[in-house]
Amino acid sequence: MSQAPQSNPSSTSPYSSPDVAVRAELSEIDASIRTSSVFFTVSAIFWLLIGTVFAVIAAYKAHEPSFMGGTEFTTFGRMRSAHLNAMALGWGNNIIFAVGLWIMARLCRSPVRHGGLLLIAGIFWNVGLTVGLAGIIWGDITSVEWLEIPRYATPLLAFSYALVGVWGIMAFHFRKGEHVYVSQWYILAALFWFPWLYVIAQIMIIWFPARGVVQSVTNWWFAHNVLGLWLTPMALATAYYVIPKVLGRPIYSYYLSVLGFWALALFYNWAGVHHLIGGPVPVWLISAGIVASVMMVIPVIVVGINHHMTVVGLHKEVWRSPTLRFVIFGAMSYTLASLIGSSMALRSVNEITHFTHFTVGHAHQGVYAFFTMIMFGGVYYMMPRLLKREWPSANLIRIHFWGCAIGISIMLIALHIAGWMQGLQMNDASIPFLEIVQMTMPWLKARSVSGIFLTVGHVAFAINFFWMLFAAGAYRTKQVPTLLTPTSEEGAA
Amino acid sequence: MDVESYKDLMPIILLGVVFFISAISMLYWSSKRGQLRDFDEQAKTIFTSEEPEGEVSDRFPGK
Repeated sequence: MSQAPQSNPSSTSPYSSPDVAVRAELSEIDASIRTSSVFFTVSAIFWLLIGTVFAVIAAYKAHEPSFMGGTEFTTFGRMRSAHLNAMALGWGNNIIFAVGLWIMARLCRSPVRHGGLLLIAGIFWNVGLTVGLAGIIWGDITSVEWLEIPRYATPLLAFSYALVGVWGIMAFHFRKGEHVYVSQWYILAALFWFPWLYVIAQIMIIWFPARGVVQSVTNWWFAHNVLGLWLTPMALATAYYVIPKVLGRPIYSYYLSVLGFWALALFYNWAGVHHLIGGPVPVWLISAGIVASVMMVIPVIVVGINHHMTVVGLHKEVWRSPTLRFVIFGAMSYTLASLIGSSMALRSVNEITHFTHFTVGHAHQGVYAFFTMIMFGGVYYMMPRLLKREWPSANLIRIHFWGCAIGISIMLIALHIAGWMQGLQMNDASIPFLEIVQMTMPWLKARSVSGIFLTVGHVAFAINFFWMLFAAGAYRTKQVPTLLTPTSEEGAA
Repeated sequence: MDVESYKDLMPIILLGVVFFISAISMLYWSSKRGQLRDFDEQAKTIFTSEEPEGEVSDRFPGK
């Protein structure tokens, strides 16, 4: 591994150019996006905590239906939908706007212009979401999965998103340096994909509802692609940026990373209809979705090989880095979740897993074990650079990691096992339905236990974050290993 | 929206065609601008004098 900074005169990197007009130091870029990134991160953590409360209530009600059953506001349907939207659009989108746009700004090598645009977008997004969540709990829920937010709140979200999209295009347009790094491909593409998905789904389902089959196909095309063409590319962009950055080692095969991007772009958007296997949908459409789902094995394996080969031989460094602990956990979950997902799209497997807790477990493996864990890692890398401070407590980081890792593992094991047994039993007409429900009870209780671990992890994360943000004056860059200084001469953590 | 035939979805199909063409255009653009050549060098563009190649840049704090 080379110890010297890159000094190739024909380099495409303008970072270290002596020419001030060309040069864009990372610290200058970080300073220019600090306010909006911190705002989005604060919002994201707020929604993460709110979403966790909804999640715990919904999980507990799954085995104790009378819990908080005295009011319609806390019924399972509303709590579950409030949880989904708080996590996906509150935590997910805010943290994407924080970490993804920060990475985009760094890779465009140009200090951020019109940072106020992002702040306005952030305010509209969070106001819109608050109105939407209140609407769901109030009872104005739309009953369309992943699009539950009532229609009076969605224009606020769409306007906010448009501002972010415009900012992304401007950042790309005014970039310095010729090369477009693979993370930029993912982020730029996702910034196009998400509005396309959201607008079409809103038009065809909420504003001018298509009839029957077309509506359900649109619904699952949208819902699956929120994961595949929005959360996934943003998390992969983060992984492709921070893994080589932390290790100081270029990605193993840049060729494979570009191949993986285009394979994802070609295959993922077809896959959503596998949610309707067995439904009254044209068979060719389902078959096309199944083929695309299986084809997703290509980009998944490509990404898996690339990440593995980049860290091989440096596993100790991964363990010593808070960022990479989370990111590698997420990257491994991506491989596993995607391969299980491709299998679930096969008709023979889907016969068992459809309409069971297996699907719920799979969704959490994708959105939490993969996406969320990588974004946690991204925050651990980003914040010290934005604030020029180190994280105040290593122990809180450890509690965060272990709380989340143990919690999500318990949940995934419980729901996958429960779902598989549930599917097998539901296919046996001789077993009464209520007996099957009873069988799932211990597993659902295990999910509630997992919620305790996850809550502890999230609270530790929030304490550490706000401690760093508001009271970390005493913790400004120390002489001992910090997240900001070279660690090559220091001992193991 | 009543969808009696595929013709009713024509505006959305046309949008999809535009979307598809823009994706292919991006691939063509990246090829023309040399984005798909010299991969090893391009993978190093994320390293800078502030955060150079060969240096581990993240570790647990305080130890």
